[in-house]
Amino acid sequence: MKDINIVIEICGSAGEGTISAGEILSRFMSSQGYEIMSFDSYPAEIRGFGKCVAHTRISSSVINSPGKLADVLIALNDGHSISQLSALKKGGILIYDSQPAKPHEEDKSVLGWADPSVVSYGVPLAMLAQKAAGNLRGRNMVALGAIAALFDLDREGFTDSIKARYAKKKQIVIDSNVNSFLEGFDWTKDHIEKKDTFTFDGVSLEPRGEKLIINGNQLVAQAALDADLKFYAGYPITPATKIMEILSKELPGYGGTLLQTEDEISAIGAVVGAGYGGIRAMTATSGPGFALMTEFTGLSVMAEVPAVIVDSQRGGPSTGIPTKTEQSDFNAALYSGTGDCPRVVLAPTDTASCYDATVLGLYLAEKYQTLVVILLDFFLSNSIRNIDTPKKPGPQMLNANVNPTEEDLKDYKRYKFTDDGISPRAIPGTPGGISFYTGLEHDERGRPDYSDKGHLAMSEKRYRKHASVLKEAPAPVISDFDGDRADIGVISWGSSAGAAHEAVATAKKEGINAASFSSVMLYPFPDEALIEFAGRCDNILIPELNFQGQFADYAQGVIKREVTRLNFITGRPMAAEDILDKMREM
Amino acid sequence: MVEIQSKYLDEKLDQVRAMDFLQYRSGDLPTWCPGCGYFGIMDAFYKACRQMELKHENICTVSGIGCSGRTPIFINSYGFHTLHGRSIPVASGLKLARPDLTVFAVAGDGDALGIGGGHLPHVARKNIDITFILFDNSIYGLTKGQSSSTTPYEMKTNSHPVGNPDSPLNPIRLALSYGASFVARGYAGDPEGMKEVIMEGTKHPGFSFIQILTPCVTFDKSNRTWKNLKENVHPLRMSPEADNMETAMRAAENQPFGVGVFFKDKDRRSYQDILDGLNA
Ligand SMILES: Cc1ncc(C[n+]2csc(CCOP(=O)(O)OP(=O)(O)O)c2C)c(N)n1
Ligand code: SF4
Ligand SMILES: [Mg+2]
Repeated sequence: MKDINIVIEICGSAGEGTISAGEILSRFMSSQGYEIMSFDSYPAEIRGFGKCVAHTRISSSVINSPGKLADVLIALNDGHSISQLSALKKGGILIYDSQPAKPHEEDKSVLGWADPSVVSYGVPLAMLAQKAAGNLRGRNMVALGAIAALFDLDREGFTDSIKARYAKKKQIVIDSNVNSFLEGFDWTKDHIEKKDTFTFDGVSLEPRGEKLIINGNQLVAQAALDADLKFYAGYPITPATKIMEILSKELPGYGGTLLQTEDEISAIGAVVGAGYGGIRAMTATSGPGFALMTEFTGLSVMAEVPAVIVDSQRGGPSTGIPTKTEQSDFNAALYSGTGDCPRVVLAPTDTASCYDATVLGLYLAEKYQTLVVILLDFFLSNSIRNIDTPKKPGPQMLNANVNPTEEDLKDYKRYKFTDDGISPRAIPGTPGGISFYTGLEHDERGRPDYSDKGHLAMSEKRYRKHASVLKEAPAPVISDFDGDRADIGVISWGSSAGAAHEAVATAKKEGINAASFSSVMLYPFPDEALIEFAGRCDNILIPELNFQGQFADYAQGVIKREVTRLNFITGRPMAAEDILDKMREM
Repeated sequence: MVEIQSKYLDEKLDQVRAMDFLQYRSGDLPTWCPGCGYFGIMDAFYKACRQMELKHENICTVSGIGCSGRTPIFINSYGFHTLHGRSIPVASGLKLARPDLTVFAVAGDGDALGIGGGHLPHVARKNIDITFILFDNSIYGLTKGQSSSTTPYEMKTNSHPVGNPDSPLNPIRLALSYGASFVARGYAGDPEGMKEVIMEGTKHPGFSFIQILTPCVTFDKSNRTWKNLKENVHPLRMSPEADNMETAMRAAENQPFGVGVFFKDKDRRSYQDILDGLNA
């Protein structure tokens, strides 16, 4: 069977419809049964004419990473596209506006800058848009028409995707877009002589059920609603804001409350208050907000109150780079704050697992009466996949509080010592469960207790509870070994895991004896599995999107040997190609 | 906190053991210094709970850190001793999560107006239905006598031994300008009066701000002492209707020792009520 694996980039300036063109392309390719992964980059400044890129990978088989270089570049804006040429493969395809509305200044035509190996097609985007709709707005649709014609995509099917995208708009908007697309399609069929060999023709894909086209932030919000979230407090921050905005619309319909607070201290404070009240509560933020929440992370752990924080990582430290992806909050998530403070940290490894991690996080927080941090990043928050509709959580995931028995309530001890460290929790309002919570060190009844024995016993209890969490952790994903041992073992986490697994699969085809390991559960970490895996690998490679190798430091401490690090802080997501290049060197 | 004499406490306990409102007292004995104004606040609190016949398990008291932070442990009800300055956010989340509970937030002057000062305007303008009691002794008690946001100008404290260079905040005026819908003041030496404002504040559907003038007998020997308070405290000289913002502001300015209700806005809807309306 013919395999398709192509990356198409659309590059324009803000306001040219770059992102919506990418969205329609994804929607259509998904409807045709392809796997898609798309990722937009846009300027941090909201106003102005900054550069936008819609990056879409389309494949006939499973994909786990966004792909590094583009096969096709559609230049809606020549100036910006010149700087995007470096991301176009040698021998790639360039589509540009052959009759721009304003003539280019000298040296500002993208065509002039393209590598000689590039196959280029000039399409009069502006002229055709003008013809189709009487204005230039539809240039993006004309460009989509051009690639649909060039690559033999279904003319009518594509228009359906355009109509679906603008379904809520006025008829004139729908018509202008559809007509611009058709104009581009027909003109290209009539006037362009195909010089490349790429086509979607002749691919037969298994028909698949309806797919959700969705990003990580949307899935976190949906998962929270499905997992009985009843309270959300937050303060806006890129790239987490969308979670709050979705929930502000949806939560009241689910009988919940949303509170926009004056700052992130107040947000996590309110979440802790609501968690103390016995309902499921969470907040979402990014680096600067997470820094402010630190004092409450300690209180949640010490007073044993459920709380969930989603931290969508961006470039740091400090205000850092708001619209670039990074995995540099690993240390902060595990170790922020003071004292011996065991909390749970989960990091979904792809879009779909954002849903599962959120459901699991709310469950673990409630059952283990502790803080759960869910680490997303800019890429996972915003990149779009087509996935199967996630399975909703069952009742055992929704009612996790360990309630006190009648026996417990006869002489209720809020912080009772138990084997697994979980003390039955009486929710305020429970007769007989009256109790005192505190962030001071305390005895089983919650009374302040500064004795050395007491502090030790309570610390042991908290760590015992932490260790118990591991029993409910999703197992690490470990690839098959070819034989007993591998030359290279790639260990990854978060959004880099997809690229790592993909790189290992490709490496194996090239004859490199490799294996891969990733875990959603970061803290407590499945150390035993890690030690066993590392024991079977001659070399260990840890790719991650931070400067220090924060996870590599952790892993080295566990496996007690040096690892090879691959660190990027370019703001781009990890690409399988990056890891492969490193593996070939090793 | 200074060591307390158990003999003193035993006597005190005997005196009041017969009294019914003591059912709201927990088994834990307050660890405050003998003579601290906070004992009076507790008495008023117990009495208010008794008179309103609140169910023990439906009361939640959220505190910050400071001598005042210990309050919930002395109440026979649910309590949460949180972080320095943060009783308001936690109490807000709790109340929105559990509208069925009666939620009190307590804080010291350092707690509420210093480190946690950023939360007060927002809980007031949102009008979240919690009763907030400010234990205002105009000093940092727990950390032993440093200047707070209500310490008078030029007063000598352990952090400003030659005199406080900062001007004090006026908590009543702040609460009024933040838009609190119920603003009152009580005096730790007047449990009956405090009981009345606590009850009125608790019944008020929205954010109630109650400042209590109370002495720190250990670290303030010159300013907010029992003697000074006794000599100066008087019932507020204004209309008991307390529905005029201008009058309230003037009283806040001119009657620093006036106790009673400064302002109440009976028609203002609570945050929950507003949300329910918007989402209906
Ligand atoms: C973040 C933080 N900073 C400092 C402290 C130390 N601290 C504890 S209580 C307190 C001040 C207490 O003064 P106030 O709020 O007026 O309460 P009082 O003791 O007078 O009742 C301070 C500075 C702390 N617990 N947490
Ligand atoms: S406020 Fe002052 S008098 Fe009261 S307990 Fe604290 S230190 Fe003692
Ligand atoms: Mg004080």
